[in-house]
Amino acid sequence: MRTEAIDPPGITWLRVSPKYVTVRLASWALANLFVVGLLCIPLVLVLNGTWQTFPLWLAVALPAVMLVLALWRLLLIPRQVRAIGYAEREDDLLIRRGIFFQRTLVVPYGRMQYVDIGAGPVERGVGLCTLKLHTASAGTNAEIPGLPAAEGARLREQLSARGEARLAGL
Amino acid sequence: MKPDAAPEATAGADPGTPDGAWLRVHPASPFVRGWVALAAIAFFFFRDTFERMLQGGPLVDEQLAGRAPWLLLGGGVLLLLTGVGYVLSWYFTRYQVAEGYVRINTGFLFKQQRQARLDRVQAIDIVQPLLARMFGLAELKFEVADAGESAVRLAYLRMDEARQLRATILARAAGVVPDPGQPGAAAAEAPEHAVLTVPPGRLIGSLLLSEQSVVVIAGALASVLLSAVTENRSFYLILIPAVLGMVAAYWNAINRGYNFTAAISPDGIRLRYGLLDTQAQTLPPGRIQALRVSQPPLWRILGWYRIQVNVAGYGAAGNNGEASSRTTLLPVGTFPDVLTMLSLVLPDPGTPEPVRIFTAGVNGLAPAVPLQGQGKGESEAVAEGSGADDGGFVTTPRRARLLAPLGWRRNGFTATGTALLIRSGRWWRHLVVVPHQRTQSMALEQGPLARRFRVADLVLHTTAGPVSPRLIQTGLDEGRALLDAQATRARAARKRQTSEHWLDQVRPLVAGDSRTEEPNSQEDRQHG
Repeated sequence: MRTEAIDPPGITWLRVSPKYVTVRLASWALANLFVVGLLCIPLVLVLNGTWQTFPLWLAVALPAVMLVLALWRLLLIPRQVRAIGYAEREDDLLIRRGIFFQRTLVVPYGRMQYVDIGAGPVERGVGLCTLKLHTASAGTNAEIPGLPAAEGARLREQLSARGEARLAGL
Repeated sequence: MKPDAAPEATAGADPGTPDGAWLRVHPASPFVRGWVALAAIAFFFFRDTFERMLQGGPLVDEQLAGRAPWLLLGGGVLLLLTGVGYVLSWYFTRYQVAEGYVRINTGFLFKQQRQARLDRVQAIDIVQPLLARMFGLAELKFEVADAGESAVRLAYLRMDEARQLRATILARAAGVVPDPGQPGAAAAEAPEHAVLTVPPGRLIGSLLLSEQSVVVIAGALASVLLSAVTENRSFYLILIPAVLGMVAAYWNAINRGYNFTAAISPDGIRLRYGLLDTQAQTLPPGRIQALRVSQPPLWRILGWYRIQVNVAGYGAAGNNGEASSRTTLLPVGTFPDVLTMLSLVLPDPGTPEPVRIFTAGVNGLAPAVPLQGQGKGESEAVAEGSGADDGGFVTTPRRARLLAPLGWRRNGFTATGTALLIRSGRWWRHLVVVPHQRTQSMALEQGPLARRFRVADLVLHTTAGPVSPRLIQTGLDEGRALLDAQATRARAARKRQTSEHWLDQVRPLVAGDSRTEEPNSQEDRQHG
């Protein structure tokens, strides 16, 4: 089902590293295993016989539904990572993300206040980092995850230099 | 509202104080701020004794005879320590205005030194709580947009000292260079012209017709009905906290909105309001990040509107909190009042027909069947003036009318030379105005349902505040075109504003004649 993307036309998007899928898988596994495990407790108890009054169908349905949702999210992860993109234009930076809920963000260089680079443990393990841009507005969630470390450093220096050159106050 | 005369301003400050001396706040300040603590300690320890003294009985209770002196002694020592703490905190609090910075040093155990750039000043308020007002003191609060530091408070100064300091800060922030021959000359306070006042009758009427009254009355009716129907008296008890809450909220609103007066001066927009606690706000030119004109359905009967603004540092407005009164540019006003305030905020509307466009923004409705020319690109639609009565607003395309059955003819945008106007709402009417110079970043967002109809939302990011500019469900092509066009306009507007000192933009242009520079000079001539 190929539908039209909302990006402005004529932009060549740079994609993030495919190794970022590993990072997302790690956090997916952590969150979902924990939740599904928690929801399996009633099932174990009912099968054991310790908790008679709980209906069996409910004890089976709860973890089953969570498992189905988790698998659905698992299938989406590679596509989501492929959908993350960024492009440096003359006067602003564009960041896009999302398949179902798409978002294209335009941040002018002159409005950038500071640039942050962070890397969690899994990201560091595969040699990636996350770049965050801050403007005066808290609603600007300008974040490019999954950048190779060298590219992240280059981008940070470039953005800082351009921001400095076009500094426009508040 | 008489303009503050220059002699009064110079008499207040010491003309011999060179720019840069370290000054102290008024000695009574910590007591004015902390009288509650002192009163609480005194009450806790001495209430018993005081009551006995009034009754004429023995001063100390026989049962506590052994311990009573210790209790009184303890209370006295605590009071003394608190008083000494207050005196010390006063002694170690000093401030200085020099070289484009304002510095404040506080604290004797844990020292704190704050420094804020004057040309980043976003707004200055003079606040007078009731007790301070009785003693002729005032608190000076200003917001500085210096990454990290935001609010700076100086409590309490004498009223004329506070006014003088405000004038000095605004003069420095505007770019007035102190005369090198007279380094100590105090800056004269800029004259002001009153523009509008909100009569108390209108304020009370607006409260009675506000959304919270409707909710409370509905709740009261429901509780009465439930009580009658179920024969259960306890439902009446819901009325008590409801009425108390309503009275408290009304009192708060009246206290903050009473005698609201707006004036224009070279320093910016001046707002004065308050019944017991008065406040005087100054918003220098160009510090308003976004503005929203809104009208709840009940106010439409009387034709009243409300204006709220985003100013960097004021933060998101709570409900009836202090932040909500500071971000209110007009608590209740008629349509001519709205146009007046808009002309103060946007002295150059960027269009030859501002009244028609703003009226369409607040009250307009696109035709249900689009005229020829609707659905084309944004610039062509505006150029052709499609929706002739609609002021050129580009609204949601007809194919997406199911997404917002009531509002699709209202949700739309138009761009003038200096600002982007976004309107929405059929029942609760809103018009959001974002000047091009104040655009931060933008995002085009689309969920799966909107993709089915090929529409998208455009969100403009701005500083924290009650206004969130969001263009709802615009056609995909128009949205993309607007994203590009708005980025271009914002860039051009940023280039035109070369410095934060607003007076700097006027002086070199006084001799300029070119047409392109006129919008700038027109904007700044009105603001000085």
